[in-house]
Amino acid sequence: MHYEAPIRKPLITGDKSYHDITVDVARPVETKAPRSWWLVFGISLVAFLWGVGCILYTIGVGIGTWGLNKTVGWAWDITNFVWWVGIGHAGTLISAVLLLFRQKWRMSINRSAEAMTIFSVIQAALFPGIHMGRIWLAYFVFPIPNQFGSLWVNFNSPLLWDVFAISTYFTVSVVFWYVGLIPDFAMIRDRAVRPVTKHIYKILSFGWGGKAKHWQRFEEVSLVLAGLATPLVLSVHTIVSMDFATSVIPGWHTTIFPPYFVAGAIFSGFAMVNTLLIIVRKVFKMEDYITIQHIEMMNIIIMITGSIVGIAYITELFIAWYSGVEYEQYAFLNRATGPYWWAYWSMMTCNVFSPQFMWFKKLRTSLMFSFFISIVVNIGMWFERFVIIVTSLHRDYLPSSWSMFSPTFVDIGIFIGTIGFFFVLFLLYARSFPVIAQAELKTILKSSGEKYKQLHEKDGHH
Amino acid sequence: MAETKKYWKGIEELTKPESVKGLAENEFNTEISTEEFLGNKENLEGSQTSRRDFLKYMGFSTAAATLAACEAPVVESIPYVVAPEEIIPGIPNYYATSYFDGHDYASILVKTREGRPIKVENNKMAGINGGANARVHASVLDLYDSTRLNNPLINGEEANWSDVDAGISRDLNAAVASGKQVVMLTSTVMSPTTKKLVKEWGAQTNGFKHVMYDAFSYSGKLDAIAAATGKRALPTYKFQNADVIVSFGADFLGDWIGQNVSADYASRRKPGKNMSHHIQFESNMSLTGSNADLRHKIKPSELGNALIALYKELGGNANGGETNLSAQVKDAAEKLRKAGSNGLVVSGTNDADVEAITIAVNKLLGNGGTTVDYSNRTYFRQGNDAAMMQLIEDMNAGRVGALFIDNLNPAYLMAGNSKLTEGLKKVALTVTFAEKENETTALCKYVCARHNYLESWGDFMPADGVYSLQQPLIRPLFNTRQTEDCLVKWMGKNGTYYDYLKANSAATANWKKALHDGVYKASTAAAVVGDDEPGFFERIFGGDDTDSTEQSETVSGGAAVDIASISSRLSKTKGGAYEIQFYENTAMGAGILANNPWLQELPDPITRVSWDNYLTISAADAVELGMENTNESNGALNGSYATVTVNGKTMENVPVFVQPGQAKGSMGLAVGYGRSAAGKVGNDVGVNAFLLMDGSHSAEVKIEKGTGTHGFACTQLAHTMMGRKIVNEVTLDTFLNQPARGEGGWNEVTEFETFKGPLTSDETNLWDDFDHQTGHMWNMSIDLNLCNGCGACVIACHAENNVPVVGKEEVRKHRDMHWLRIDRYYSSDMTEEVAEEQGISGIDMYAAMEKPSSSPEVAFQPVMCQHCNHAPCETVCPVAATTHSAEGLNHMAYNRCIGTRYCANNCPYKVRRFNWFQYEGNSKFENNLAMNDDLGRMVLNPDVTVRARGVMEKCSMCIQRIQLGKLTAKKEGRLLKDGDIQTACQSACDTGAIVFGDVNNKESEVFKLKQNERMYHLLEEVGTQPSVFYQTKVRNRA
Repeated sequence: MHYEAPIRKPLITGDKSYHDITVDVARPVETKAPRSWWLVFGISLVAFLWGVGCILYTIGVGIGTWGLNKTVGWAWDITNFVWWVGIGHAGTLISAVLLLFRQKWRMSINRSAEAMTIFSVIQAALFPGIHMGRIWLAYFVFPIPNQFGSLWVNFNSPLLWDVFAISTYFTVSVVFWYVGLIPDFAMIRDRAVRPVTKHIYKILSFGWGGKAKHWQRFEEVSLVLAGLATPLVLSVHTIVSMDFATSVIPGWHTTIFPPYFVAGAIFSGFAMVNTLLIIVRKVFKMEDYITIQHIEMMNIIIMITGSIVGIAYITELFIAWYSGVEYEQYAFLNRATGPYWWAYWSMMTCNVFSPQFMWFKKLRTSLMFSFFISIVVNIGMWFERFVIIVTSLHRDYLPSSWSMFSPTFVDIGIFIGTIGFFFVLFLLYARSFPVIAQAELKTILKSSGEKYKQLHEKDGHH
Repeated sequence: MAETKKYWKGIEELTKPESVKGLAENEFNTEISTEEFLGNKENLEGSQTSRRDFLKYMGFSTAAATLAACEAPVVESIPYVVAPEEIIPGIPNYYATSYFDGHDYASILVKTREGRPIKVENNKMAGINGGANARVHASVLDLYDSTRLNNPLINGEEANWSDVDAGISRDLNAAVASGKQVVMLTSTVMSPTTKKLVKEWGAQTNGFKHVMYDAFSYSGKLDAIAAATGKRALPTYKFQNADVIVSFGADFLGDWIGQNVSADYASRRKPGKNMSHHIQFESNMSLTGSNADLRHKIKPSELGNALIALYKELGGNANGGETNLSAQVKDAAEKLRKAGSNGLVVSGTNDADVEAITIAVNKLLGNGGTTVDYSNRTYFRQGNDAAMMQLIEDMNAGRVGALFIDNLNPAYLMAGNSKLTEGLKKVALTVTFAEKENETTALCKYVCARHNYLESWGDFMPADGVYSLQQPLIRPLFNTRQTEDCLVKWMGKNGTYYDYLKANSAATANWKKALHDGVYKASTAAAVVGDDEPGFFERIFGGDDTDSTEQSETVSGGAAVDIASISSRLSKTKGGAYEIQFYENTAMGAGILANNPWLQELPDPITRVSWDNYLTISAADAVELGMENTNESNGALNGSYATVTVNGKTMENVPVFVQPGQAKGSMGLAVGYGRSAAGKVGNDVGVNAFLLMDGSHSAEVKIEKGTGTHGFACTQLAHTMMGRKIVNEVTLDTFLNQPARGEGGWNEVTEFETFKGPLTSDETNLWDDFDHQTGHMWNMSIDLNLCNGCGACVIACHAENNVPVVGKEEVRKHRDMHWLRIDRYYSSDMTEEVAEEQGISGIDMYAAMEKPSSSPEVAFQPVMCQHCNHAPCETVCPVAATTHSAEGLNHMAYNRCIGTRYCANNCPYKVRRFNWFQYEGNSKFENNLAMNDDLGRMVLNPDVTVRARGVMEKCSMCIQRIQLGKLTAKKEGRLLKDGDIQTACQSACDTGAIVFGDVNNKESEVFKLKQNERMYHLLEEVGTQPSVFYQTKVRNRA
């Protein structure tokens, strides 16, 4: 049994036994959904369907239904893409990187964080598809053998790298997530009373028997996948950033982008995890597992990554000045003082200033404030991508081609649709999947559970 | 001797022929048991269809049923019954002809494919106006306008020609019997044969009159010339001989008196000691003014006094001449005096007095024959406003019995004159000859459906000693007849106008050659034409009735012109607080081709606005009147509305455009818009300035702010270069006396510090270079000194490359599809130097730089795909749809494009155009006539793909022409010569600003231009290594 210093705060509060954990985690799956769930689900579904409608309209009529023009060829589409990919970074970071670093506190949040990752990557993956003028030829981006002669994809193109990066990331994330789910599905299977339910979870749990060998393989696979997933955390957003960094457009052509984008992705991902978990713990009464301490840890990471992003912003400005390139200088001056100054300063306020409140313990342990900041951060991160994409494009080299961008209802509809789609998936997940990795969590109950810690204290185990 | 040889196919056949024969007879070694199977009913019934078989049958029948249900579109192509000798499918034929619509004249070549005229090219053999303007280049689309009249009309109802002929003959007889006038009202008639025919036809009736009226009249100018020289005809202006040009409101590079002088002007704009100096006095920012070395703002009413001042400075005696531009006039006078007979003063009004002073000034300069040639006249404008007014008066007085209107739309051009429509009602017989329904056809009893110029025969005499022919290139598409044929028929002559023309033409003797060349050269024509007096018309027709009245009061040389009284009259001209200057803009001219979507979508070279006309006002006046231009959140331009009152007529909702360089107190309004019966494209586009215009080109105006805002389709949002090196320019003095290259040179190449020492962007490479030495290496040179921004290349590109028209709303959203655009930049009062001097911060400096100066210098820069040899677009396309050719071109494979738009984003020149919608075969884009109208489609160039929705497109450097050129050379077994291949923009450019060719051919012009010290690449420091390069603009002033 791993021993944990008494000075560390318990990761599971309350008087919990193994069975309590089982019951608590299985409860949302086994009980009927409350009316509030249906309400939120209904709203999400409507938003999702509206988005589907807008997507179909775009595919049916043309990209001209968006607000783009000859100068600004990407705007909300790629902004949303990068935003969702960024959000999708927290899950793998929590489950893989923190696993390798043996951070036990990840155990009660990694399941939902990973679910969030997968669902947001699905949203992200939509955009490179629908932003194409001819989506019906989207398979051209895959290096598949073909009858067009020696026609091959262009391996120089960062967009192609994106295809590989995102599909790899998505695949590994799904597998990693699913492997973790197997013992928990088995738990639900074992508790299920209705034969249909039992049968479904039987299939989902792949015949898990809880044998020692099963557990050994489970641990091994988890570790191997964690090893695989860790570089992906860094690579995906690095490659996404190269969409911009390898171009020649002032404001895009920046070598700082890979680390800056990765930090920003973690930043926004953790904020999104916070948003979701603060609701989940309340609704599912899981305050004992997702404790204030968890939220605090997340807030600290948000603060740190927010500051890294802030440094990156300032570095960009400095380098623009230091480079002596007039186009670069103007691009950044224009961001801060041009027609889109409001977007730039929204980004600055949300991403750089707002996380600084987390220096105060009182604020970072306040649920309401954390929730508020988590929303603010994601708004800020959306603006960051908007600023990078639109303000760089709308005034580039030749003033004769300068333009502006304004979204149409289709742009907005598709964005809202992806948010709806995301919540549809997450809500379905919350009522059919074990939202906490209970099997893993049980392994730390006796070392980090509040009751056991008190027992250690009382018994003088040191 | 015949010998029957026997060949054997194998050793067996030689040795054992019997067995081989047996084998050959018995092809199937074993008997096929068909009979056994099919003949045995029992067996057949006993056989079971296996599951596999069943699935096969079902699969096949389902597939067959599905295929049968799909109806493939039936495309009918009908072969020639008798194939014309000269038509080879896929090979274009060029025919020479002439364009004249009553306003624009050009001698042109027309490209036909499989019998369809699809493209207008300049006729390089032309003696005059061989350079077609944007409108003439676009005119080919009008042939395929489905709103053309299919049949003649009687009282607005379709009729057949025999009824029309009979009806007109009956009504005409009645009119003649009533003893009233019979009047032929036409635009300027430049055809000697038509004139003769009209005269002959008119001679059959008593009281026949032929009245000519010009859409945008220069009648006053003609009157002044008639008074001074004795002949009511325009002189030939010879800009190629002018060292100093001073223009008083004459927009001679845009629309002036019909003579295309841009090539002559450009010939003296090549930088060097010989470069001409051009001073422009004007109120509106015109195309000409934007090309001038010095431009002075002046209100229209003050032009006369400025001219008098100049006349006095040059030693003339006159009254008045007070002007607040006296220093500028003095400067102009000094320069003119120095230039002497190589000086040229031109003016651009319809005011006879102004023109009289101009003539007098030119006389003082002694430039007769050198820059102004009165002995070689041009006949582009012959209209007579007085005659027209007389006609209207006669009509209203009931003195006109029959009115025939040809090639003119008076109901639109004189929309402000209500007496015209009233008068028309009092004429018993009204006939108009028109290609389409227009404002006038609605008022006439008979509408004779006219041929398009590409279906007509004709001849023109644009200038003394210059003769050109017009020939049909296609059979008439509809049941139409050309005006002259009607006259021939009505006169009861045998044959057609073709016979008449051939018999009466100046080129009868050399008919075939003249027809082939399109023009009849002056050397051969001299015998016919004669030198000066009597003029060509008199020689052939023995005088001309429009001339006869003036001839009596002729004094040659202008001695009889009373400068004193003219100048005292002129100097008393009182201008108003606000004055309006009517003008013709580049795209629309007088609005004859208003239904042409290519022209409607052509951005004005100055304002960059398409699909509109507007009141141009100065920024200072805008502030005073509380008017403004603003941009919407998507960049679209909006403007206030104004209520304008001119000559007692009020027009509401005139959009206001704030124009840098507009003289304070003056306003401009283009004619040619606001058509009400032009067709679905041209109707209700803009406002009709003719409603306000009263003969004179300028007038006093009252202006008030209206309510609401107007949406403009403006393609350019930022107007200045923001201190960047985009259009490089230098003064002539620096150009002549200082080094171009090297540090501090006026055309210094940017160098980068590298570990290898300083290197240019071409030498610092991350990539492997393409091989640029083997084979061809296509390059293009664009001379910014020769380009005057006229837009002919843009239209030529439209026609050549099937560029779609997207309509006002889409252009407004900055989604214009032009492959070639002409950027226009204004100078700003703020520069980096000024900011440094005054200690202005970067933020404020850039904000101030965005504002154009109130007296800006203007620069034009045609920008198309630069065909970078390190193309940013090529590396980013995920599917390799845009790739590099071995010949230095950047290719676009439409079939491969999936439309990520990444290439467009990464293009520093922003020349890539995305198909936001399906522009072809889409009823939402019905203005895109060339792609959405069955007849309109005939104009498409079959060599160029029509792009589908979702595909990126851009300039291909006319790859189809390059391929054709290469194939032709290959077929002829020779090397490609320089000049064999011309891009569409290059061949449309009559100033020679665009030169295309192979830089690996060291003899080529483009190679020489690449070595020129003025050469630079746009955004060279980005390292894109473009195949297009520019020649630094040189301004001839200190």
